[in-house]
Amino acid sequence: MERRADCSWWSGGKREGRRAPGKRTGPVKCPRERETKAVSREGKKGERPAKQTSYRKATETDRIGEKSIKRKGTQGFVCIFRRTVQDKMTGSDVRLSDEQVDLVHRLQHGKFGDINFNEYEPAIDFFSNEVMIHPVTNRPEDKRSFIPSLIEKEKVGKLVHAIKMGWIKPRRPKDSAPLYYDLWAKEDPNSILGRHKMHVPAPKIRLPGHEESYNPPPEYLLTEEERLAWEQQDPEERKLSLLPQKFPSLRAVPAFTRFIHERFERCLDLYLCPRQRKMRVNVNPEDLIPKLPKPKDLHPCTAGHSSLVRSISVAPGGQWLVSGSDDGTVRFWEVATARCLKTVEVGGAVKSVAWSPNPAVCLVAISHGNTVVLMNPGLGDRLILSATDQLISSYEEPTEVKDQPVEWSLAEGTEHQQGQRLILTHPRAVKQVTWHGKGDYLACVMPDVSSNVQVVIHQVSKRRTQNPFRKNKGMVQCVSFHPIRPYFFVATQRHVRVYNLIKQELTKKLMTNCKWVSSMAIHPGGDNVICGSYDCRVLTNSSTDPEHHKKALRGVAYHRQYPLFASGSDDGSVIVCHGMVYNDLLQNPLIVPVKVLKGHTITHDLGVLDVAFHPTQPWVFSSGADGTVRLFT
Amino acid sequence: MSQLQARFFTEYKKFAIDDVPFSIPAASEVTDLSNVINKLLEFKIADHKHVEFDFLVRGQFLRTSLANHMETENISTEEVVEIEYVQKFTAPQPEECIMHDDWISSVEADSEWILTGSYDKTARIWSLEGKAVMTVAGHTDVVKDVAWVKRDGLSSLLLTASLDQTVLLWEWNSERNKVKARHCCRGHAGSVDTIAVDPTRTKFCSGSWDKMLKIWSAESQVINKIKRPDSDKNSFSSLQTPLMTLSGHGEAVSSVLWTDAEELCSASWDHTIRLWDAETGGQKSMLTGSKVFNCISYSPLCRRLASGSTDRHVRLWDPRSKDGSLVLLSLTSHTGWVTAVRWSLSNNHQLVSGSFDNMVKLWDIRSCKAPLYDLAAHEDRVMCADWTESGVRNRWRLCVCCELCVVCENCIVLLVGTGRFYT
Repeated sequence: MERRADCSWWSGGKREGRRAPGKRTGPVKCPRERETKAVSREGKKGERPAKQTSYRKATETDRIGEKSIKRKGTQGFVCIFRRTVQDKMTGSDVRLSDEQVDLVHRLQHGKFGDINFNEYEPAIDFFSNEVMIHPVTNRPEDKRSFIPSLIEKEKVGKLVHAIKMGWIKPRRPKDSAPLYYDLWAKEDPNSILGRHKMHVPAPKIRLPGHEESYNPPPEYLLTEEERLAWEQQDPEERKLSLLPQKFPSLRAVPAFTRFIHERFERCLDLYLCPRQRKMRVNVNPEDLIPKLPKPKDLHPCTAGHSSLVRSISVAPGGQWLVSGSDDGTVRFWEVATARCLKTVEVGGAVKSVAWSPNPAVCLVAISHGNTVVLMNPGLGDRLILSATDQLISSYEEPTEVKDQPVEWSLAEGTEHQQGQRLILTHPRAVKQVTWHGKGDYLACVMPDVSSNVQVVIHQVSKRRTQNPFRKNKGMVQCVSFHPIRPYFFVATQRHVRVYNLIKQELTKKLMTNCKWVSSMAIHPGGDNVICGSYDCRVLTNSSTDPEHHKKALRGVAYHRQYPLFASGSDDGSVIVCHGMVYNDLLQNPLIVPVKVLKGHTITHDLGVLDVAFHPTQPWVFSSGADGTVRLFT
Repeated sequence: MSQLQARFFTEYKKFAIDDVPFSIPAASEVTDLSNVINKLLEFKIADHKHVEFDFLVRGQFLRTSLANHMETENISTEEVVEIEYVQKFTAPQPEECIMHDDWISSVEADSEWILTGSYDKTARIWSLEGKAVMTVAGHTDVVKDVAWVKRDGLSSLLLTASLDQTVLLWEWNSERNKVKARHCCRGHAGSVDTIAVDPTRTKFCSGSWDKMLKIWSAESQVINKIKRPDSDKNSFSSLQTPLMTLSGHGEAVSSVLWTDAEELCSASWDHTIRLWDAETGGQKSMLTGSKVFNCISYSPLCRRLASGSTDRHVRLWDPRSKDGSLVLLSLTSHTGWVTAVRWSLSNNHQLVSGSFDNMVKLWDIRSCKAPLYDLAAHEDRVMCADWTESGVRNRWRLCVCCELCVVCENCIVLLVGTGRFYT
């Protein structure tokens, strides 16, 4: 830069005074002068080898010359002819040769030493107004340019001081993290989600074969029949898309008529080819099949019943189980040992049994024929048993007798000794009995299409009966009380209606989407209902289970604590499902079948008739048409 | 065939052989090794009779070939293997069968008599030969558990617990063959399922369906005698109140026992085994399982607790471990609910388990993969089992009872094996 600037200055013609500091000081010399001097020196060298002595001589002669010039005015000839000069170094006289004298003369006259030097060569204008990027001369750097400058020293000193004082922080180490990096470098190519697995290459075009050649071997050429057959085939069916043809030379091949067509087909192929691999969860098909328990795991209660067991119910404490059978008996079992502790003859096929959910009383409702019997089984805590008896005997006849659809009577004699306490005679056969959670109300179902008294609700403590519905809304299959709220669920063939018992109105109507509801159970939280139907489906309140059962469902049950529900079917199997219910009501409950329990033999095309869960343990009881009650743990 | 370097040793002087390493085929099994030992003994002792031996490699019974065993147990085959041998435990044989009219809920045997509780509301005393000696009737409901309290001379004290929520303490005079109810322990609000007498024989504990444990005194001196005319119970005049009530279980108590004089252990349907301080009534620690416990047994010899649960496993626990639920060992072979476990009284490695799959299994905890013997003498579900120490020192007996479908054919089977080892 500086040099360039110099050049420009020089080229500007102002040669004096403008010098780069510390670089070019001293007398101003025109480059041309310098050039000439250098040349002359060269010339001298070429003339005679530069020796120390000769140089000195030269300087001596210069001085002598001066002397002689001074004297010239007076003694001109003397100095011309004086050729002997005293060398002060050696003290000897040296006689100058003609050439040396000539040189002295030339120098004395202000001429160049070299004779051959032309002082008046045409000038070459080195410097112009154009800015040059390189120095004109290749002169080595001045020595002073290597000496550190004071200004720089001062500046460096300031910086050093600033670093020492901590005003300037040393440079931060460069963070080694690259600005750009390979996003997928650490990805495991073997993982399922690996990119390479996802890559689906486009389908390749088949390479042309011999038949596509312009000059195919003769065996590829079609015969006449083959050609006719080819022409008669549909384009899709053809093995070859084109007729092999023979041409004498490539020049003779005409334009390919199907070119556009083929390109289009190729584009279509690319368009339709799969570009994304469908992610499939790796499911072992074996895992989907619910595991069958070993038959030995099953814990059958001893076959006490001689006919099919229609209904079972577990005591709220979980110690006892009651089962009602078509052979007219009700049996009480000890759950822990499967011991039948009590058998009560009721005199009619028992359709339904229900243990009162109130742990403070011990009452079992048994329906057979037209009657519902409330029984005190005499099992469990004596205090509770006596309290139950007290509850029933403490009833006082109301002053005004209302006309009731059901006749209440006290059991007496042998029946009382068996444990029967109250006998309720209904107008028609009672199919189902169910208790309210508090154990005071009892609902009975008498299915009949023609009547409007299909459901009655009894209040045990006041011995009162009411018919909640005035209208007949179809044949009632089963009913259930809401465990917490005053709701009453009535399942007819196709619908489940939810009534509010306090407001006495229809709250909700659930469409079941099935042909015939057989059974119903309500989640202990009260938010979900499951229905079993005769068309092999389990329905929860928002979703339908796929058909796991092969035949009609007979019973469904919820577990009180675990998220489990069970369904029993005519195919002799009980399916236990894990049902996860979300708080978000829009989300479908997650239902996973946990186990298929098979143990019941199918008799008269009937398998499992009722299922019930143990109140605390994850155990399921099932009663079957083969007269057994089984406990699956 | 590869060879192994093995050194045999035994604790019995009678069968000791020279302490030198032998090279034996790796594929040899128990019978081969037994033959080797017998051969060696024949050389050493002139009148040696053939004895079947069993072999222990690092405390585990050899059941497969030696090479297999060492591979599974991760024992180096490079070094000399130390093999302990013991006389083989001969298979127990059913000795006697005592028929009962109804299901037997519990059995407890001592050196002379067997006490059984039955579902026909009575308890019975049998001699070891299987002769019915006495019927103890008095409960109004099924007898669920029985226990001997103590026997001094001819009179003995026994306990029966019943579904009618009472425990009765009886005094039985074996000479006159008279039984008298000493007193009636009332206080449970559910069926009393289990009783256990403490080692000092002065107290007993009862566990009930009402989730409570109650400690009662078994001595007549301490009783508050309350005369009460009882209409439905013929002769019980004195009622007893519990010394202490322990509550904490969330479900029915299924089994209770005393580990020593101050410590109680109870198993429950709430999937826990709890240890209680019998002095203060506080809960000391809790072992948590995953299934309902049906029965527990404690061995003072090896200080282990064995539990039988509804998931078909017999599990061994260390009751002293403070970190709780630590199963030492699971013995899996049953296919039904395990309803009875009982440690051997004399052998600290043996226990017996009975199950609803009609099998009684004799286990040695040194071979936990499979039971020593399956005793399949029962045709029905096994309800309870007990060991008896017979008068003859090297004989042991096992009482097991089960129920039968046909009620009148229930039985107790006495099984006998020969040869306890420590003679």
